[in-house]
Amino acid sequence: MKRYDLIVIGGGPAGLSAATEAAKHGLHPVVFDENARPGGQLFKQIHKFFGSKEHKAKIRGFQIGEELLEEAEKYGVEVCLNAAVIGLYPEKEVTVRIGEEVKHVKGDAVLVATGASENMVTFPGWTLPGVIGAGAAQTMMNLHHVKAGEKILMLGSGNVGLVVSFQLMQAGCEVVALVDAAKRVGGYGVHAAKVARLGVPFYLSHTIVEAEGSDCVTGVTIAQVDEKFQFIEGTKKHFDVDTICMAVGLSPMSQLLMQAGCKMEDTPGGCVPVCDASGATSVPGIYAAGDVSGIEEASSAMIEGRISGAVIAEYLGYITEEGKKARERELEEALEALRKGMFAPENRGKLLEKTEEGIDISMNLLEKGYVAEDEIERYPGVTHMAGVHPVMECTQNIPCNPCQDACAKGCISIGKNITSLPVVVPGAECIGCGMCVASCSGQAIFLVDEESEPGYGTVTLPYEFLPLPEAGEKGIALGRDGTKVCDCEVVSCKSAKAFDHTNLLTIKVPADMTMKARFYKKGAKFCQA
Amino acid sequence: MEKRIMRHPILGDSPERKFVKFTYDGKTLEGYEGEPVAAALRAAGVMTHRYTAKKHEPRGVFCAIGRCTDCVMVVNGKPNVRTCITPLEEGMTVQTQYGASYEGGTTDEAI
Repeated sequence: MKRYDLIVIGGGPAGLSAATEAAKHGLHPVVFDENARPGGQLFKQIHKFFGSKEHKAKIRGFQIGEELLEEAEKYGVEVCLNAAVIGLYPEKEVTVRIGEEVKHVKGDAVLVATGASENMVTFPGWTLPGVIGAGAAQTMMNLHHVKAGEKILMLGSGNVGLVVSFQLMQAGCEVVALVDAAKRVGGYGVHAAKVARLGVPFYLSHTIVEAEGSDCVTGVTIAQVDEKFQFIEGTKKHFDVDTICMAVGLSPMSQLLMQAGCKMEDTPGGCVPVCDASGATSVPGIYAAGDVSGIEEASSAMIEGRISGAVIAEYLGYITEEGKKARERELEEALEALRKGMFAPENRGKLLEKTEEGIDISMNLLEKGYVAEDEIERYPGVTHMAGVHPVMECTQNIPCNPCQDACAKGCISIGKNITSLPVVVPGAECIGCGMCVASCSGQAIFLVDEESEPGYGTVTLPYEFLPLPEAGEKGIALGRDGTKVCDCEVVSCKSAKAFDHTNLLTIKVPADMTMKARFYKKGAKFCQA
Repeated sequence: MEKRIMRHPILGDSPERKFVKFTYDGKTLEGYEGEPVAAALRAAGVMTHRYTAKKHEPRGVFCAIGRCTDCVMVVNGKPNVRTCITPLEEGMTVQTQYGASYEGGTTDEAI
């Protein structure tokens, strides 16, 4: 039986990070992954990540995946692909199917980083071809360059539902509605606002009655639900769609840990192993990291993996206890930062009414997906001054701060607390470079000149769609709710390597529209050529 | 309508790949070599991959990562092949699966 010092099950963000960390300390880990490519779901994530520099903020998921693979290779991590682990035993023995063969191997330590699988909800017609998981949509469009559908209804307003809706529009699909049985948007407000300003209507307190079609989806009916999630009569709405996308949460894939006899617990977030901060389970030498130990995000999964990697290195005698503790402290600090703010684990399911600064949270954002005009002025990133200046429509405390580093002129401040709302620094001079606009993972920063010429002003907005508008082109400006606010003209559309595919589109609008116009539309549809 | 994304605002131009021919229920189709069979079928507008044994209900791609097994088809004569993770090859035969076999097949085990 082949023996390894560390067997990592799952080559996603947590598993690769753990293996790399362990390899840095001298271990020779093997990573088994059932897929043909490593990286887990990272290669489908084409949006910029949140956090700070140490969390790889403002870098797109697939680029983080590439960095991770390079690092793993550099430290000699052995990644074994098309290798599905089918058994894990308390003695740290692993059975793995590679091709048609089942191999039996043993590890001095085993780290389970199998991630999670998508949840689903059932309704009449849910088994029809055309009803897909949000992950499937991402896989098809972002990995295989095939549209997930033409007209799509998204069920689920968590970050996955919001991010995938935006990505569907980027791929040239039409999202006809975003639906959630919950009363309020579950994901980041900035992600919701990005989708809402494209004109996608949000139906909160609604869910699917049925999917229509005999051989595949041809339509869908939704209806409003009451407090007990029962349909309210007379509230049905029909949409012609060919695809229904489900983004209704994830469940840890913890079966192997259960099989190994690890102590498990049932939580609202699924069945997870009982483990300490380092991922050590109740079975000595068996660890868990990433979504399998509780659903979070790729950013935290990577840090959790590194912590487990360092702890395993000490467990097997490769580093001293002091060395381990120092590394753990450093990583835990980074992890704690990510777990702060409105969306911190302890705030799950709670309705927060005020920001950390004591400002009322936009209820319109939570119920309709965008901040209302009479709410936006209360946030510290939204100020008025002569000349071009940043307007930061960042209204919730989330751990993210690339904007403050993006401005070379020091116009933007978040401060030490990574979840604070960005503030426009009084007296600092904006040169209109737009780096802040491109750096904001939530696409919530705009450059506004309230009066660039008599009667007119300009708005510079982040634009990640094709075809790129051309200078002089006439179109309409959309408000935060995605409806037309005025006619407008394209002044410029700038692309630069430093913007990383977030183009800066500047439009000229009537002066009284500069605080209203937040998106640009040429024709009647967003579809690319 | 074109189902392939030839230009993407973030991912750029779709990578150049080699076209190969395969058959779907006897009909010749084209797809890119190495892409999942399911992607080639989707691009050709095929939604139904199989029919269930008992109720004869259509099924198609659901998870697209090889987990749910809803997209299985008979590929090169072998049933229960997960088309979403099976790379397309020149000359492959892909057939709609009925229950656990191709239409008129002898395996009648329900799945």
